[in-house]
Amino acid sequence: MTTHAMLQALADPMGVPFYPRVFQTLGVLTFSIHILCVNLAIGALVLSIYGRYWGDDFWKGLSGSLAKACTAAVSGAILFGVAPLLFMQVLYDPFWYASNMLSGAWVLGFVGVVTAAYGILYLRVSRDCGASGVVSAALFLVAGAIMHALNAQMLAPEKWTDWAVKDGAPSVSGLALHAFEPLRFAHFIVPAVAAAGVFLMLYAWYFSPREDFDKTVLARAARAGASLAFWATAVQALGGVLWLVTLPSEFRFHMNPAFVVAALLGFGLLGYFWRIRGKEDPAASAPGAAAALFIVTLAMAASRETLRGLYLGKWGYTLAAHQVHLDIGSTALFFATFVLGVSVAAWLLAVAFQAGRVPGRWTPGPRMQAWGKASIGILAAWLVVVVALGIFITFKNHGA
Amino acid sequence: MYPVWEVPGLTAGLVLGLIAAFHMLPSHLSVGAMWLNVYLESRAERENRPELLDFVRKYSRLLLIFSYVFGSLSGVGIWFAATLAAPRAISGLIHNYVWGWATEWVFFIVEVVGIFVYVYSFDKVDRKTHIRIGWIFALGSWTTMVVIVGILTFMLTPGLWPQTGGFFDGFFNRTYWPQLFLRTGSMLVIAAAYATVIAARVYDAKVRSTVARAASVFGLGGLALGAACFFWYRASLPAHAVEIVEMLVKPGLRQGMIGSTVLLALYFGWLIVKPASARFWPALASILVLFAGIWSFERSRELIRKPWVIPNYMYSNQIIGADLPAKGVRSEIPAINERGILKTAPFVPKNLREVNDENRLQAGRMVALLECAACHSLQQGGVRSLARIAREKELDADMMEGLLYSLDQMPYMPPFAGTDPERRALAEFVAALSKGELR
Ligand code: HEC
Ligand code: HEM
Repeated sequence: MTTHAMLQALADPMGVPFYPRVFQTLGVLTFSIHILCVNLAIGALVLSIYGRYWGDDFWKGLSGSLAKACTAAVSGAILFGVAPLLFMQVLYDPFWYASNMLSGAWVLGFVGVVTAAYGILYLRVSRDCGASGVVSAALFLVAGAIMHALNAQMLAPEKWTDWAVKDGAPSVSGLALHAFEPLRFAHFIVPAVAAAGVFLMLYAWYFSPREDFDKTVLARAARAGASLAFWATAVQALGGVLWLVTLPSEFRFHMNPAFVVAALLGFGLLGYFWRIRGKEDPAASAPGAAAALFIVTLAMAASRETLRGLYLGKWGYTLAAHQVHLDIGSTALFFATFVLGVSVAAWLLAVAFQAGRVPGRWTPGPRMQAWGKASIGILAAWLVVVVALGIFITFKNHGA
Repeated sequence: MYPVWEVPGLTAGLVLGLIAAFHMLPSHLSVGAMWLNVYLESRAERENRPELLDFVRKYSRLLLIFSYVFGSLSGVGIWFAATLAAPRAISGLIHNYVWGWATEWVFFIVEVVGIFVYVYSFDKVDRKTHIRIGWIFALGSWTTMVVIVGILTFMLTPGLWPQTGGFFDGFFNRTYWPQLFLRTGSMLVIAAAYATVIAARVYDAKVRSTVARAASVFGLGGLALGAACFFWYRASLPAHAVEIVEMLVKPGLRQGMIGSTVLLALYFGWLIVKPASARFWPALASILVLFAGIWSFERSRELIRKPWVIPNYMYSNQIIGADLPAKGVRSEIPAINERGILKTAPFVPKNLREVNDENRLQAGRMVALLECAACHSLQQGGVRSLARIAREKELDADMMEGLLYSLDQMPYMPPFAGTDPERRALAEFVAALSKGELR
């Protein structure tokens, strides 16, 4: 059986309910947020450990806040991990499933490793980021390595049949990982330090209006953050170039707009961080730095997606080949829910944002209160509409 | 057909079952707990009893850690385990219900942001705003249930979907409503049982009593709703499923469901009468009883889907067994019968593609891995071990071969698919396995 025929035999015969480009866009968007959260989590945890063991009073004092940031970031990573997991399975089902089945034990192990790492983080690290912090960080790195290996295995369908067989018998233990690209893995992990740097700048910026915070500590956090962001990005740029030149030359990445734009933006970010680093008060630039980091991450995620297309295109696999069975109803349900849900989540975040910026208790003004009431109304209205639809369809399809 | 991943003795399906049953606790706690919280927090505000907030605070920390650390990850665990148990089935579900899951995910965002903000803003915003955050969380998380139940029930009763292929035609099917309210009942029970654990750890005796009684009322109400909907659910099951219940659901599972319901009713009833007697160990025991009940229910629910993983479309061994004109899909059985399963499945070692005298047992094992291992262990023991079944029924290769001609005469098994030599090889493999001639 040729690789092409194998892929055709594996592909789900039911088609997709909407245009593949839309799933792809959502996948790239949510993956960018996923990897930013992953980076922040790992970066913050590493700095927290550094502070606890080797830092001066300044770093020791920040260790707790950094560990807390890590916990929230891991939640974000999980939240924004399931979305690309979903969209990946819509568009790349043969690749993702084959890769999973070939390493079944690792796939389940991934869940165990992340659960252990996260559990330790909550139950111990949040109190004192000592040895438990180190264990947790190591486990997160293992989890990332498994994710990376699964992604790398996807891209080599020509090797799957060899991996699935051992001495003429089917290999069914799933105990092996078959692919690992250190430079690619590094490319997704090194930005951890940059993300933590930007977080420190944001921290300084966010608490600057609070009278009860030590101004010198905030100023130092901003400077340290800007410096970390710059140096980590410099390392990242170097590693990125190295990774690009090791890619198969037939991909002609220097001609591909996705790679060129991402690379230019990456160097732009480096220059921008250089400027911020030289400033008197880097904290003021924190929101801009965060936005720039997000844009560059998005570009990186887009070129990662392009790269996947190039690898899989070798076997004639294209997005356009998916058969579309338009399902307008469920598509509309999602997009309507998305708009409404984001507005509700935004209210919650706005409350948290404002409440954290003042000491003591914060009471929302009339506009915020109205928005809060509307949020409850939105959820109730959503339920009413869906239940009504459900009752209607139940009667239509199944009678009384 | 994807490469096979075998969990010796257990089957990947049982691993999935274990994770899924565990997931019931944190996920239903997450959906149910906030209703009790907003009730008590509002009461604290109305009756000016700030000491009640002590409980609310402790309880929401449990919610954050248990539901959002272990709950969200066991949810991810179900997904991965389901992938490993039957990748083609999860693929089939996703290619139909991707927007359903995506919609649930939006509410998952609201939940995660909601619980973080709720816990961390406890003393940072005024009470009224805080209660409002609680309401958003409570509504948002019940909504995730409204969505996921549609996909869960689809896997048993796909409604008009096999004819139309339409999302909502499969979603709002005949077991949707009973199961939605059955789960709503269980969410209240789970939330109540956990609340009594936390209540037992509150020092203030008056607070303990107030909370234990309120929680028990929730719990008893949930049990009543759940029990009523259970009968509604049973009545709405298709005839095939009822037949399987009679054949496969062992007395132990039935007793598990009935027994845990009765015990929990007694427990909550007792606490309503004597709320001050809430103690930690009985409360913890109530959760174990609850788990036994959930395990029995979920196992039974899993059994009655056999032999399908997606009804009237895909068998548990991931062979597409029926046409689906609405999506232009045809049954794979005729093609497999003609060409052979070993030639059709992509990941069969080259030397096993054709059955011959040298490779007969190995080829038989490959067929068993592809067609039987989803439900039967291929070890000497374990879940429905083929070796043990053949020993107990004293099946030799000839009898086994005969049985394979009519495997689907039994309502819980798919038909054998493949050529005559493959059938013979499978039969000989099972016979050899049962005699202990193979590992
Ligand atoms: C959908 C899951 C499923 C699949 C796939 C499956 N079986 Fe079964 N099988 C069952 C169940 C359930 C039983 C009943 C076991 C019990 O009574 O506990 C059973 C029972 C049996 C029995 C005993 C039958 C009897 O007389 O009671 C044999 C033999 C058997 N299976 C062989 C096979 C073989 C061979 C295959 C592969 C071609 C296979 N099964 C595939 C679920 C399955
Ligand atoms: C918290 C620990 C985690 C870490 C450190 C981590 C790290 C990573 C890394 C490094 C990649 C890129 C791999 C590559 O392309 O080579 C990645 C991709 C991915 N991760 Fe995670 N991850 C974590 C948790 C999760 C969880 C819990 C999920 C699922 C629920 C998840 C889902 C994904 C998916 C689906 C991709 C691929 C996205 C795509 O290709 O579009 N991750 N992750």
